[in-house]
Amino acid sequence: MDAGLLALADAGISTADLDGLIACKSVQGQGNDVAVGSLLGLNLPYVQSLDYGTCNFSLHLAVMAIVSGLASTVLLTYGADARSRKFDFGKPMYGADMASAAGLVHIAGRAGLALQRHKAVYGTTDEQFGMLAVGQRLWAQKNPNAIFQQPLSMTDYLSEPYMVDPLRRSDVTMISDGGVAIVVTTAERAKGLANTPVYISGIAEHTGIRGEHNPENLMRPWLIDAAAAIWDSTGLTPADIDVLYIQDPTAVWSLQMLEYYGFCGLGEGGPFLAEGHTLPGGDLPLNTHGGQLSESYTWGWMHVVEAVRQLRGQAGERQLDSPQTSLYCSSHGFVKAAASVLSTDPGVGR
Amino acid sequence: MSGLSPIDDPLAGPFFAAAGEGRLVVQQCNSCGALRWPPLVGCPECRSRDTTWVDVAPTGTIWSYVVYHRAFARELAAQIPYTVAMIELDDGPYMIGRLIHGEKPPAVGERTVAEFVESEGVPSVQWRIP
Repeated sequence: MDAGLLALADAGISTADLDGLIACKSVQGQGNDVAVGSLLGLNLPYVQSLDYGTCNFSLHLAVMAIVSGLASTVLLTYGADARSRKFDFGKPMYGADMASAAGLVHIAGRAGLALQRHKAVYGTTDEQFGMLAVGQRLWAQKNPNAIFQQPLSMTDYLSEPYMVDPLRRSDVTMISDGGVAIVVTTAERAKGLANTPVYISGIAEHTGIRGEHNPENLMRPWLIDAAAAIWDSTGLTPADIDVLYIQDPTAVWSLQMLEYYGFCGLGEGGPFLAEGHTLPGGDLPLNTHGGQLSESYTWGWMHVVEAVRQLRGQAGERQLDSPQTSLYCSSHGFVKAAASVLSTDPGVGR
Repeated sequence: MSGLSPIDDPLAGPFFAAAGEGRLVVQQCNSCGALRWPPLVGCPECRSRDTTWVDVAPTGTIWSYVVYHRAFARELAAQIPYTVAMIELDDGPYMIGRLIHGEKPPAVGERTVAEFVESEGVPSVQWRIP
């Protein structure tokens, strides 16, 4: 609720200007549309709840609601109290099954299988992969909102014991509480509002809902289909992206998406990371707020907030030099992928 | 498991029953012949529901593996560290299971053999590097 009111204030509008609400339920199952509506005190024309996090799915539904005419100004909300309620992330993700019976629990298990395979097939090293955790901490140190700001050198990283070999604690998301909200409206309406508008220049999704116990499930090559769809529909290429956001419950997601979205070749993520492109000062800034590894665990939602801040030039000490176009890619576990291009230029992606 | 033995599970029961007899089985579609694991009520290749359980060779290679040094559930705490692998069966399907290893450390591509074990009266399958 607090985040919702802050988002409305940021846009310079009030609850009376809303005609839509899309509430994203937390992993813990809280915060559906009715729960948020009872606090908003409004009977809006269009409301919906989403089970899928990462913000991309909410953003895309808002676009569809607006394009279809169901709503014109939509508030998107997400909130979770995973940390204070000590939520059990070791529970099986998709119901009890043979894999969890064997002890394959927590997202680190499946992500670890994918990374171990990547290391064996492509020769990716711990030091290359660790550039993600170390890099995210460097960015977080420039972000006053980040929860993990203490220094993390490569030596510190490599001396951490494995949690689920080949993953260390710093390769996996923290668990935190948090609330995030975003206002989505038409480009026409946004022109007259208080803050600089950021345009949704393209959206794309693809799924891996077969979800079998096989390489397709773990390596997630279907992310390439989401990537192809976002590049095809916007006419952009990876070279057009000034700042990149990847939702990162584990650093394995960033490794996979850097490759699948074409920022480097397949299997070349390790050497690419070692070259420092994604670090502060690099030519492909990645998760400039510190991501889920270092800033907070808000299921990818803060990635979008940070993209908007960077594009508006409101990112403080970590502000990049006038970025214009950003890509945000995310996935819902091992079953759904989504991508959005955000830009300050309404002509991008047209 | 809510007190019910996996053998009574309408979908996966035949797997555990066969494990009790020292056999490794997966489902096979009677319509298109596809082998599938884990068990499902229908075939994702041809959408037929006509299914039989068939024996497969209890051998395969490690496609990948992880070693848990942290227990994410209380009942796993006594087993730390333990290894879970995804095995590519010689007959095709992939199977996720516990990997037992002695002197030879696990590695991607390593050969493994199914071992039939029983825990608290429930038969199951684990994998061993010979």
